[in-house]
Amino acid sequence: MSISRRVLIKSGGIALVSLGLDPLFLARAAFASYRPLPPITGQSRRILVCLFQRGAVDGLNMIVPHADPIYYRERPRIAVPERDVVDLDGYFGLHPRLAALKPLWDEKSLAVIHAVGSPDSSRSHFDAQDYMESGTPGVKVTPDGWLNRYCQHDREHQDTPFRAVAFGPQLPRILAGSAPALAIDDLQAFGLRGPQPAARDRLTRAFEDLYAGAATGLLSTSSREAFEAVQTLKRVDPAQYRPADGVDYPRGRLGKAMLEIAQLIKADVGLQVAFADVTGWDTHVNQGAGEGQLAARLDELGQSLAAFTRDLGARMRDVVVLTMSEFGRTVRENGNAGTDHGHATAMLVLGGSVNGGRVLGKWPGLDPAQRFEGRDVAVTTDFRDLFAELLARHLGAGDLGGIFPGFTTDAARFPGAIRG
Amino acid sequence: MRIRIVSPALALLVPLGAPAQQPALTPHDSALHALNRVAYGPRPGEVARVAAQGVMSWIDRQLAPERIDDRRLAQWEHQRPILDYDRGDLAAIYVAAQRARRERKRAADTMADTLADDPAVQRGRRLAAQFQELAVVRAALTERQLYEVMVDFWTNHFNVYLAKGADRFLTPDYIEHTIRPRAMGKFEDLLIATAQSPAMLFYLDNWQSVAPGASPPFPRSAMRRGGQAVRRAPTGINENYARELLELHTLGVDGGYTQQDVIAVARIFTGWSIRRPQQGGGFEFHDWAHDRGEKQVLGVRFPAGHGEDEGIRLLKLLANHPATMHHVSVELCQRFVKDDPPDGCVDDAVAAWRQSNGGIRAVLGAIFHGPDFWSPGNVGAKVKTPLEFLVSAMRVVSAEPDTSPRLARTVARLGQPLYLHVAPDGYPEREAAWVNSGALLDRMNVAVALAAGRLPGLTVALDSVAPAGDIEHLIGAVNDRILGGTMSENTKQVLGRQLSSIDDPVQARALAVGLAVGGPEFQRQ
Repeated sequence: MSISRRVLIKSGGIALVSLGLDPLFLARAAFASYRPLPPITGQSRRILVCLFQRGAVDGLNMIVPHADPIYYRERPRIAVPERDVVDLDGYFGLHPRLAALKPLWDEKSLAVIHAVGSPDSSRSHFDAQDYMESGTPGVKVTPDGWLNRYCQHDREHQDTPFRAVAFGPQLPRILAGSAPALAIDDLQAFGLRGPQPAARDRLTRAFEDLYAGAATGLLSTSSREAFEAVQTLKRVDPAQYRPADGVDYPRGRLGKAMLEIAQLIKADVGLQVAFADVTGWDTHVNQGAGEGQLAARLDELGQSLAAFTRDLGARMRDVVVLTMSEFGRTVRENGNAGTDHGHATAMLVLGGSVNGGRVLGKWPGLDPAQRFEGRDVAVTTDFRDLFAELLARHLGAGDLGGIFPGFTTDAARFPGAIRG
Repeated sequence: MRIRIVSPALALLVPLGAPAQQPALTPHDSALHALNRVAYGPRPGEVARVAAQGVMSWIDRQLAPERIDDRRLAQWEHQRPILDYDRGDLAAIYVAAQRARRERKRAADTMADTLADDPAVQRGRRLAAQFQELAVVRAALTERQLYEVMVDFWTNHFNVYLAKGADRFLTPDYIEHTIRPRAMGKFEDLLIATAQSPAMLFYLDNWQSVAPGASPPFPRSAMRRGGQAVRRAPTGINENYARELLELHTLGVDGGYTQQDVIAVARIFTGWSIRRPQQGGGFEFHDWAHDRGEKQVLGVRFPAGHGEDEGIRLLKLLANHPATMHHVSVELCQRFVKDDPPDGCVDDAVAAWRQSNGGIRAVLGAIFHGPDFWSPGNVGAKVKTPLEFLVSAMRVVSAEPDTSPRLARTVARLGQPLYLHVAPDGYPEREAAWVNSGALLDRMNVAVALAAGRLPGLTVALDSVAPAGDIEHLIGAVNDRILGGTMSENTKQVLGRQLSSIDDPVQARALAVGLAVGGPEFQRQ
């Protein structure tokens, strides 16, 4: 499906500079100047989908170092039995409830980065999530998120209101900033609400007329984006969407988010950056081993990712899904058959350009001498190096300076998640 | 040369030698502007009332809130259980909720969706919602409008995050007893009170900051933070509070301090802690944790051998520092005048600060009496935050909050969940932070729901706003009562078109009000 683009030039934009107008307004106004572009065809843009596992996922039970006896020694109740682990490379294996991802590993579109995390040692959920979303570990006053800074930095793809979309009720920190981004809780409900479609359309037109006539500045550009988004979504007709044959997304928030992301990708509305989060990983008590709380969460994750890749089919060629979590969990289980806050964790990358079929990063081992503060998996890959690689090598970002303030990205430190 | 305009009436006189100005504000427009900035927007008929009384007289009254009768709000507050709980009560409720959660998880092996049914957990959540709701209703109902505006200002300036561990039960007390009583007093008093508040000490981790090598004189039992047992003694100095104190609360990021200053400040605040945090205890100075060495901050020497007093001394120094006066004045001018605050406004505010030794009322008075506040170019030049939008919408249609705490959820949906700003810088003031396409659509939806009486948490009777009936009359009433006369020609035409196709006059009125409240004019203040 192709869409036509309206050309909107902000006239007098240069003149406004000399009046000393708020440069932030100009930055946003510049985003509104949609250039005439050819309709999108099969030559589609690369897409990055970020999934935040909030609560600090236990990397060790997710991607199990089943060949290491220390793992079994330290987790008498919650270690995943070796016979249940889905082996990946003879040392690591998948939690059995992630078995749906094994075919992706085999066809080399899934890679794991283990022992990845933050240089900051905070074990506070909210601090660590803040640092991972702002991309500035240790600094709390960064106003925007790293994904938004990427969007600011790469103006070329800012030709659609759907360029950066978070699937949830609010715009997350990772997408906060001066570059436009949409938070969509429900594709079908996006836009004005009305008792029936006719009333809804009339209301939409009324507001569109109001804003077209009387809004100025940022209210004007944002409202135009809003109505363009609503129009576009109407054509996409989310209520009619059916996933590809035989694809069944699991019930629940994550399944729904992945379905909507797939839908928007297939609708060719210019989506480039997508975000969703999934909660429930903070397994302090009764974590479970092959079965149990964590297993249930992993099941949902695995099924959602598998359904997503099947639904997109050949289009996965252009898509990379990244999972992330603010930190990992203790090597040793605690007194409540769970785990406490740790340090490094495991992240997954999945997609066409991924250097799959391997566990990346430098595995530090589980020996107490090699642990962080004697208790957690040590971090050997700074998360910023992984994120930078995805931006540079998958999305093709040019100069990464400024996307991670206070950090000098260096391709030599990229974990090697992306091919070529 | 700048002519200081003392009252808008005098502004009608053209100052000699001044360049050609835009026409000065009429009494009506002055009143509307004041109500939009100094208050959360006008109620029906209030613009005329304030204009008749004289806008400067109204402003001066707002500067002395204790003299304003606030009976209606007092009655509403009387029925709110959240105000009866102190820190200890809330702590007990929170701990019970945590225990219940753990019991459920121990018993279950799947994610307990039944968690939400647990009465202890539900109670905790209800109280949090009521606490957030309180802020919205107070802002909407109070006669002491400027006072509530300042409470919101300081809540963001001295931000605390409600969802961080013990702050769940420390924050309500922080707002009630630390911020609110001092919102219009002296800045120094407010600063010192926040520095000693358990909520701030916990939020920015200072309660665990101890001099290197210090250890408590008695064995520590398990300390609970955020419901998790943390069996570690504090490991040393924590710089978090020191940094934010200098960067956000006082001097500002360009205030001229160095990393060495941050470290020295952190050393000064070692030992500033909380007594029995898991039970909602108050401020306690732990002498054993305090670094008694000599420090130097901003070139000022703090001799060795001092205790809690050197923290107080430092706070007074910071409160009266020129960089602090400037930093906070910039924020105040941002809030009341323009996102990019005019230098003259900031200068006036700083001058008043100096003269009054940081008297917040004096600083505000200088801003409201200054020419920048009344400059026509600055009228309607700001965009409302989600809280300001919702509260002004409630006021303009005389909405009555009901007993369910649902309004907090609406503010959250609009992007500003109260007390839940994660970072210490608080919710931003600039329009770029709030105006995006999704947010505007949300505002339109809220406006339409509000006008139709379908916004949860409120009852609305539009009869007091506009008559249902003749379209011309209706549009005129909406312009006058809701938009304060700022309705554009375009809006009039659009409304005319839309309303003419609706038979039911009650429905037409709801549509007119919904479109006006969701439209571009109403987003501005």
